[in-house]
Amino acid sequence: MRSQYWSRYICAVLLLLLGAAAPCSAAGLSATFERTLGAGTAPSLVKEYGGEYILPIQERLRVEEVFARLAAQSERQDVQYTLTVLNSREANAFSLPGGFIFITRGLLNLIGSDEAQLAAVLGHEIAHVEKKHGVNAIFRQLGLSVLAEVGAFALDFLSGDLLRAAGLALTQILQAGWGREAEFEADALGQEIAARAGFDPVGAISLLEKLIQAENSEESMHIFRTHPASGERKKRLEENLAEYWSEPDLVKDFSALERLKQGRISDPGGRTDPRARYVLEGVGHPGVKLVDQQNGEQVVWAENAFVKEAAWSPDGTYLALLVDAESLGELWLFDRWGRVFRKISGLGEINGFCWSPQGDMLALEVPGSGGLRIVAAYLYAEAFVDVSGGRQAEEAVWLEEGLYFRSGADWYRTEPPQAVPVRVAEPVPVVLQRKRILTPTLVKEGNTFRLTRPELTVP
Amino acid sequence: MKQFGGAFAILLAVVFCAAGTVHAFVFTDPAGLYSTQIADSWVYQAHHSTEHLVVFYGDEDSALLYFERLGTVSYLSAWEFAHRSLELYRSPGGLEKFEMVRDLAEVEVGGEAGVSCAYTYQDGQGNQLWEYRVFLVLPGGEGFSIAFSDSRPEAADDPRQLEEILLHWRWLF
Repeated sequence: MRSQYWSRYICAVLLLLLGAAAPCSAAGLSATFERTLGAGTAPSLVKEYGGEYILPIQERLRVEEVFARLAAQSERQDVQYTLTVLNSREANAFSLPGGFIFITRGLLNLIGSDEAQLAAVLGHEIAHVEKKHGVNAIFRQLGLSVLAEVGAFALDFLSGDLLRAAGLALTQILQAGWGREAEFEADALGQEIAARAGFDPVGAISLLEKLIQAENSEESMHIFRTHPASGERKKRLEENLAEYWSEPDLVKDFSALERLKQGRISDPGGRTDPRARYVLEGVGHPGVKLVDQQNGEQVVWAENAFVKEAAWSPDGTYLALLVDAESLGELWLFDRWGRVFRKISGLGEINGFCWSPQGDMLALEVPGSGGLRIVAAYLYAEAFVDVSGGRQAEEAVWLEEGLYFRSGADWYRTEPPQAVPVRVAEPVPVVLQRKRILTPTLVKEGNTFRLTRPELTVP
Repeated sequence: MKQFGGAFAILLAVVFCAAGTVHAFVFTDPAGLYSTQIADSWVYQAHHSTEHLVVFYGDEDSALLYFERLGTVSYLSAWEFAHRSLELYRSPGGLEKFEMVRDLAEVEVGGEAGVSCAYTYQDGQGNQLWEYRVFLVLPGGEGFSIAFSDSRPEAADDPRQLEEILLHWRWLF
């Protein structure tokens, strides 16, 4: 058995060196080998993670659509990608050579309905397959790196023993991960695949933040066991974000400039509450004064701070306050109940800001060593992008068609990456069941009556 | 006496007519796609309804009526839409103990051709439910569904309440 193994091995190496396999398709043979290897390991992995989990119809269609859009962006058309949901509470995702992608229901629950985050994790796993991280790690482990470098095209000759050895190595490597550099590479390529497929590339960052938060509170966060430090990964992903914004273009369309001026005149600072409840009376110290029109009472938010500027988000979900904190500008975002949702700081001074039309980003005017620059701050991720492209920028206005900023006498326009919502081509109607109506009951106790809280049963 | 007799007969006729009349209201889709007449016993559920889904609760414990807009679909016909939907309903992850009660049949809703069927399944609490459903692919390729569900088999066998609603259905495009 062993002599047969070595004879096959030597034969394959000789074939490689002599170029006897030249008429064969190198890519095709390599993909077959990867597929065989992955298919051999997949069943034990599925078993280890509680078997396959069948998602409810609507969720399944949505996840499959996201996955199909990502797989369509794959550069390796020789790989057939398949997605399996694993029945495990643990939040994790894996890939095996040959295009086998796995995600646990625990991670799907954590992601919820955020398509950008789902695309980020699936894109990351597809990137591992694209870059052959699994196969390369096995070759390194088995000391076959020479073969890996030459090309794996003759590996179909090495069936049997070598495949078993590779399968065993794959299982071991899977526990340790593909390696630090491979993870960084998969992060970057995964983000690119997601962006090409029409998902917001910031999803990779917000997912990482969510995972970090969950890791601190839950035990079932095993995804970081095999990955490099999250802070470093986040930093690199944030650096990549600028690549997905369009290069700032000099504005020559004067109708757009006209709209810019009108926009600033109609509501200079976004001071009108879009939901028409609060009237903004003034900013300064202490805080921002608002009149609640429902009861006519005056409320003060950020009462211990000096507020320089205030603006409602376009849908009225948040009120952004530019606060003078220790002589530096900070942006405090309040929800409609007057609670601080987030504080944006760490950029040095902030001179001014404006909301994106969708209310998911803010453009900040930030002084730097070379003058003012425009920085886009994401609302649902701790991420910033310098969008002025090295130019001095003095003023920013965000319209539907893009973010405009002024540099000297010229106006420039840049656009964030465009996200395309998921649309299932062959949807099926939802099947609803009536929710039980919960009515409190009146219970007589002596001469008094007591209202009892109904028992909540979740269908 | 004759005069009184005549008046009594008219009064009786009015009373009987009133007893036989089901009070209904005209419901117009907030998005302006359709309009129909629905019996007063159905209560609109604002909390469960969305831009794409309109939900009514009936006076029975589990009586449910809902209309869903599915956006542009790639189905070429209502038949294709129905076949694909039923295939997923009966597949793993679909509806528990799914069984067809009434086969697919052509139906006309407000002048548009659709496909209707009825089936039964078990909900999360183990209750058996019956559902009558209509599938439509509207001009422009929009998928649309009308469903009537109840814990009584009449929902599938004899969906008179739904037939009344379909009779008054008008498309507003």
